[in-house]
Amino acid sequence: MREWWSKIWGSLHLRSGLQNDLSDEMQAHLDMMAAENVERGMPPDEARVAARRQFGNLTRTEEKAREAWQFPRLETILQDIRYGLRGIRRSPSFSAVVILTLALGIGANTAIFSVVYSVLLRPLPYPNGERLVWLGESTAKYGGISITWINFQHWRNENDSFENMAGFANEDFTLTGRGDAVLTHAGLVTSSFFQLTGARPAMGRLFTDADDAPGAAPTVVVTADFWQRRLDGDSHVVGESLSLDGKSYEIIGVLPPGRRFFWNPVDFYLPIGRSAGAHLKRSEHGSMRALGLLKPGATLTQARINLDDIMQRLAVTDPGPENDHRAFAIYLTEATVGNVRPVLLILMSAVGLVLIIACANVASLLLVRSTARTREIAVRVAIGAGRARLARQLFTENLVVAGIGGGLGLLLASWCLRSLVLIGPRDIPRLSEATLDLPVLVFATAITIVVGLLAGVAPVFSAGKVDLTIALKEGSPTAGVGKRGQAFRNTLVIAEIAVTLILAFASSLLIRSLIAAQNSDPGFDAQHLLAIELQLPESRYKSDENVRQYYGQLAQSLRAELGVEDVGLVMCPPGGGDCGDYWYSILEKPPLTRDDVPLSLFNIVDDGYFRTANVRFVAGRAFNDTDRPGGSRVTIINEQLAHQLWPDPRLALGQHLKVGGTYMEGPTLEIVGVVANTSQMGLDAEQMPTFYYPFSQKPDSAMTVVVRTNGDPAQWMKAARRRVSALDRNVPIQSLRTAEDWLGATLERRRFATLLLGLFGALAMILAAVGIYGVLNYWVSARQKEIAIRLAIGASRSSILRWAGLHAARLAVIGIVLGAIGAWSASRWLESMVFGVTARSPLMMLVAGAAVIGIAALAAGLPLWRATHTDAVRNLHQG
Amino acid sequence: MSTVDDPRKALEFLQGTLKVLILRSLQAAPNHAYGISQFLERQSESEFLVDNGSLYPALQRLLQRRWIAAQWKKSPNGRRAKYYRLTTLGRTQLVAAKSKWMRFVEAMARVLAAQR
Repeated sequence: MREWWSKIWGSLHLRSGLQNDLSDEMQAHLDMMAAENVERGMPPDEARVAARRQFGNLTRTEEKAREAWQFPRLETILQDIRYGLRGIRRSPSFSAVVILTLALGIGANTAIFSVVYSVLLRPLPYPNGERLVWLGESTAKYGGISITWINFQHWRNENDSFENMAGFANEDFTLTGRGDAVLTHAGLVTSSFFQLTGARPAMGRLFTDADDAPGAAPTVVVTADFWQRRLDGDSHVVGESLSLDGKSYEIIGVLPPGRRFFWNPVDFYLPIGRSAGAHLKRSEHGSMRALGLLKPGATLTQARINLDDIMQRLAVTDPGPENDHRAFAIYLTEATVGNVRPVLLILMSAVGLVLIIACANVASLLLVRSTARTREIAVRVAIGAGRARLARQLFTENLVVAGIGGGLGLLLASWCLRSLVLIGPRDIPRLSEATLDLPVLVFATAITIVVGLLAGVAPVFSAGKVDLTIALKEGSPTAGVGKRGQAFRNTLVIAEIAVTLILAFASSLLIRSLIAAQNSDPGFDAQHLLAIELQLPESRYKSDENVRQYYGQLAQSLRAELGVEDVGLVMCPPGGGDCGDYWYSILEKPPLTRDDVPLSLFNIVDDGYFRTANVRFVAGRAFNDTDRPGGSRVTIINEQLAHQLWPDPRLALGQHLKVGGTYMEGPTLEIVGVVANTSQMGLDAEQMPTFYYPFSQKPDSAMTVVVRTNGDPAQWMKAARRRVSALDRNVPIQSLRTAEDWLGATLERRRFATLLLGLFGALAMILAAVGIYGVLNYWVSARQKEIAIRLAIGASRSSILRWAGLHAARLAVIGIVLGAIGAWSASRWLESMVFGVTARSPLMMLVAGAAVIGIAALAAGLPLWRATHTDAVRNLHQG
Repeated sequence: MSTVDDPRKALEFLQGTLKVLILRSLQAAPNHAYGISQFLERQSESEFLVDNGSLYPALQRLLQRRWIAAQWKKSPNGRRAKYYRLTTLGRTQLVAAKSKWMRFVEAMARVLAAQR
């Protein structure tokens, strides 16, 4: 350290002074020696010459003394760089392979890292985003259910871990009075919400506590996007009004562009307290969750305990169904990222493995070249290059190559990133924000340097060990082929095969899973099925009777369309996810304790849905005309639910399902049918228990109309639009898709991950093939003479093939065994992404193993062919 | 490569020995570069022949570590020369290095001179 300081100091102040000082000092030294010679009786001239001789090389001594004070000089670095560039030009094909390999490895890693950085690592765009906590309630079984308005008030006022809290929920409204009726999405928030997310108005003002009180005048804050799109960017819009579900709201402010809090973008914000403030019971659940800003220094655990204490106190002062509920709190960063994390980490590790292979390839290539350069290095050593100087030069050269590779890689990454963002699933938060920004550039630079150094280590070390006498002798091609070099190259091949097998195994698992998911039975016939998602504006369809009438008329109208075979209604079509779940119990079964009451999804269908969608009936009947409003209430359950309770689904018929379970209010429904499971949460998701209400007894304004057509359903889209608009042009179509598209969309994320992992697997295979080819080819070249001798003394070509093949096979087998062990232990990480096949599938291991062996055999083929076709006579004569 | 040492050739410096020897040569009094090389030749009875190409860089490194300090002074016979002297830090380094080397030398001697 001290040396460095004085070097820095010296380079700043002393350099020129030191130089004069040194020559003065040495001059004095010479004078003293000359004077002594004179004393011994030499003539003065001769004495000076003798002193010069005795002293040694003056200039060299001065240089070496000066160097002690200097950093390697810029000129020498530039010279090394120039030399490196010249080396690249001299062997363009070699350099192209090295640079391309590095560019692929670095480019892929940079692209994936920028996604990982954007999605997982980048701080949230809110002030103090790291202290923001996502809050919900939890029961013994489920965490993160909604918070009741009353509980929220208690939490907010009585906690001492949070600086501030804000409630938020989503609701859809129909906007009328500005062109066609459209369905719009609102964020319902408390007035503190904008403080926590750090939003400021671009125009007007944001909510105050007064706007957020029950009975306050209806106000709305619109987003910049909505303002541009729907309000034509009108700068006098503040003070005007919006008609939402037939009610007038005054626009008080416009938000600046770019801010997003909700996954699905919202069009405007409404104060939540106006409506929710009317809740008087502590058990009244809506869909509100909350944000909390932790006080500086407060931990998440403290905050949880704090809120749980409040809930325990409330259980005494305000007892009821909420008694056992507690607080659910996770950091907002975690809530945002959710289950994307494992997928991205798997992709990052996979692409890291690709980089390792690229690195191994480059290392072995450089090693081969350094062997070819042995003579050059020997000459350098002979004319006085020190080991350190030589190492510095080789490292600089490698860094030049790596730098070019890294630069190309960056170009590649920027191109890949654009495609990644385009093809990436929309449900990965912040994916679209991924760019090559500063942290990503730092990452790319860092891996470039590390790769340059790592790949260069072997040649640099072997260069230091050059034996001058051997290397300088004419015609000794064996120089540097030493056992050590070959062992190192063999290790690289083994490592490449092992890593490639891991990647091949992982990709084959995912590809197999994707195929399984795509072919999995969705439980209904998705072909020739059109899905029209509708939302009736509540202002126009106030009563259940209005809603029933509308959908009845629409179904009739659609049936009249040529080629339409059947029409049905469902609230939440398969693949539509969780549109609602609730507790339930079976009256005929013994009651369960409060914590054991199970949850089930619920759905609403009309009497035509199961027939139209072709859902198989396991037992009982479909809904029909006898299930009248006001009549005895009935339900149909799915197989999953039936299996949990009855050994035979038929036993469920006639029994009674109590909605809300034993402890919550809800109607009692008679089970009249059991239907097959349909993939509610997606094709690759677990089946969930579900019960269906008949639409006739529980109509809903938001329904999806499914239409069975006798051809490609896309052809009926125009007709569907026309019929909907003809019936009532104020009803917005929320979406219009074929059922196949709808279902396919549930596999978006899986497709994305599989595509990338498959690409990395393929990349790994190509790189490994290049690496294996290179090393074996070199192995054969270095043994041309040995092979020629063997052939000359009578070895058959097949024995040569056996000998060389055995060498290749040995490396492959060791690599495969190591890779299999690695893949086996890595399979644990893949478990969450595997579907329809176990993560430790021996079959997939076999497939991956076969693929890797195939690639290795292909890569080894040419060198082996060369080995057996050595021309013994010519080869020996040449020597 | 000969197996028997040629006594006519001066000894090469082992790694790290030159620095200790320089420090030792400055223990009694400050000295200049030429004086240091003369001192080492004299004391080692010409077994060590100091190459200026090694001496000067070694002096620079000792200066950097602040084990020695330099100053231009007049020599007894009236010449100006750059004199090096031990710093306090250099003195402690010398004590440590000296005991280490003495142990090393004695141990080497014991092993090499052993009868069997």
